[in-house]
Amino acid sequence: MNYPYPMSIHDSAEAADHTISNVAAVIGIGQTDWVADHKSVREGKKPFDSYGYGATAFKRALDDAGISRSEIDGLVVGHNASFERAGEVYGVNARWGGQADAVQSVVTAVMAIKSGLAKVVAVVYGHDQRSAKVQYGGPEASGGDRHLSYVYHAPMGLTSQGALYGLMYRRHMELTGATEWDLGQVSVAQRQWASRNPRAILRKLITIDDYLASDYIAEPLHLYDYCMVNDGGVALIISETSHARCRHKRPVTIRAIGRADLHEQSATLKPRLIDFYHPAHRLVANQVYNAAGIGPKDIDAFYVYDSFSCHIPFALEGFGFCGVGESGRFIAEMGIGPGGRLPINTSGGQLSESNMQGWSHQLEAVRQLRGEAATPVLNCRHVQYVSDVVGKVFSIIYGVD
Amino acid sequence: MSTSPRFYSPYDESFWSSVSDDAASMQRCSDCEQHRYPPSACCPNCLSTNATWEKISGIGHVLSWTTLHKQYLPAYPAPTTIVAARLEEGPIFLSNIDGKEVNALKIGAPVKIIYGDHPDGYRIPRLTLNCTSIEAKR
Repeated sequence: MNYPYPMSIHDSAEAADHTISNVAAVIGIGQTDWVADHKSVREGKKPFDSYGYGATAFKRALDDAGISRSEIDGLVVGHNASFERAGEVYGVNARWGGQADAVQSVVTAVMAIKSGLAKVVAVVYGHDQRSAKVQYGGPEASGGDRHLSYVYHAPMGLTSQGALYGLMYRRHMELTGATEWDLGQVSVAQRQWASRNPRAILRKLITIDDYLASDYIAEPLHLYDYCMVNDGGVALIISETSHARCRHKRPVTIRAIGRADLHEQSATLKPRLIDFYHPAHRLVANQVYNAAGIGPKDIDAFYVYDSFSCHIPFALEGFGFCGVGESGRFIAEMGIGPGGRLPINTSGGQLSESNMQGWSHQLEAVRQLRGEAATPVLNCRHVQYVSDVVGKVFSIIYGVD
Repeated sequence: MSTSPRFYSPYDESFWSSVSDDAASMQRCSDCEQHRYPPSACCPNCLSTNATWEKISGIGHVLSWTTLHKQYLPAYPAPTTIVAARLEEGPIFLSNIDGKEVNALKIGAPVKIIYGDHPDGYRIPRLTLNCTSIEAKR
C-alpha cells in the first residue's frame, strides 16, 4: 500500500549528478577501543574527553593509511567539537575544514577534494556522551535551548528521541499491519552480527522471544529497539582517488552521494508521521543509484543509521528494497543477519556494536569492502549507507574495483 | 535549564497566554491565511511576517500515539501516553491523553483539546477522545 503523502518537495535533484562520483576514496580508518572505553566509563572513570577519543582514532587512521600527519590539509570534526580547538589539540593547520555530523563529514570532504580546496582530508569524531551524561530526553535533554521536536513539547509530556520513533512506528503498524515481531527481527539480527564482532560492546545473543518480553520504553518500542549511549572515537582519512591508488593497497572509493531534505512542519513531526521521510528517500535513491549505475539488488551490504531499530524498515521501504508495508516479510524472507541475502549493519550497528552517531557505519563499510570485517560478506563490491536524521536524508555508496 | 521550558522565541508567550485562558490560539498568516504551530516569525507557506492570533476549535483526529513507560519528566509519571493529532485548522498538535482512554485510541478517531494544570503552576492543553460529552456540556 502507499501512504497518502503529497509531494511537498521539488525533485530537481532527480537528474543524477555524476560529478562527485569516484572523486575520492577512503585510505585509512581508526577507532578507539569501544569495549574498553565502555568498561572504563561504567566503572566511573573518564578515560578521555571528546578530543582524546578523537586523537586516538585519528592517530590510528593515519597509521592505517600509512601517511604522516603533515600530508593532511583538510580537517572535519564532529558536531560536538570546536573545530579550532580540535586543530590545536590534533596539531593540524588545515587549509580547509569545519564541523559536521558523520555523513556530512564524508560528503564535505569529497566536495573539498573535488573543488581543489584540499587533497587529503581527516574526518575525526570523538564523543564522551556517556561519561558526560548527555541526555536525549527529560528536563536536561540536549537541544533544550532550541526548537527541537523532542524538547519543544515537554510541557505536554512529550520528550525523548525514542518517543518520536514510537509515534512513527505505531502509525506505521496501524497503517500497514506491521507488528512488533516484524521490528524485533532487526535487533535480533544485529545482535547476531555483534556476537561475532570483538569490537562490539553488546555481544550476548537475543531471541525474538527475548525481544518481545523486554520492557517497553516508548511503546511500541522495546528496550532492544534503542541504541546504546557510549563513549569513543572514529576517524577516516579521505584522499583524492588517483592519489589514493598510489598510497593505499586497496582504497575504498566513494561512488555516489545523494541528499534530500524534508523539514515542513518538522517540529510537529509531519515528515515522520505523514511522509515517513519516503519522498526524500526516493529522491536520494534516484540520485545515488543513477550515479553509481546500480540498484538495490546490487547492494552487497546495507548500512542504516540506527539510533532506533525502526530506521531499518523505513529505509528498506523508502529506498525501494521492498514496497511500503512489506519490510517485515522482506526481512524474514531475505535474512539481514549473518548468512542473510541482504546483510544489514554487519558489525551490530548502534544497537549492539557502538553508538558513534553514524561514524562507525563508515568504518564497517570500509572494512567489508577491504575484506577485513569481523564477519566478512563474500564478494562484497558495493555497500550503501543511509541516514535520515531530523529530515536530512543522505546516502553514500562505497565500492571497490 | 528550567524543568519545563516553554519560551523559545518571542512568539511563544502569546500561545501560552491563550492556553492560560483555556482558549488556545494559533498564529494565522494575514496574507495566505494558513495556520502555523509552533509559533514562528514568518509563514512557511508565503514568508509573510504578518500574522494574527486566532482561537482554534481544538477539534482534530488521531494520527498516532506512544506510551512512555519510563518517567523522564517530573510532572509525568509513567505510564504517560502522548497523542499526535491533526487539527481541523491544519497543524499537527502533540499532547498527553488520560490513561483510561488509551485502549480506545485508533487512527482517525476524533479528538479535542481540553485543559489541565501543570505542577509547575500553569495551564496546559491536553487531548481527549471524549468529544461528544464535551459538546453536550456546552
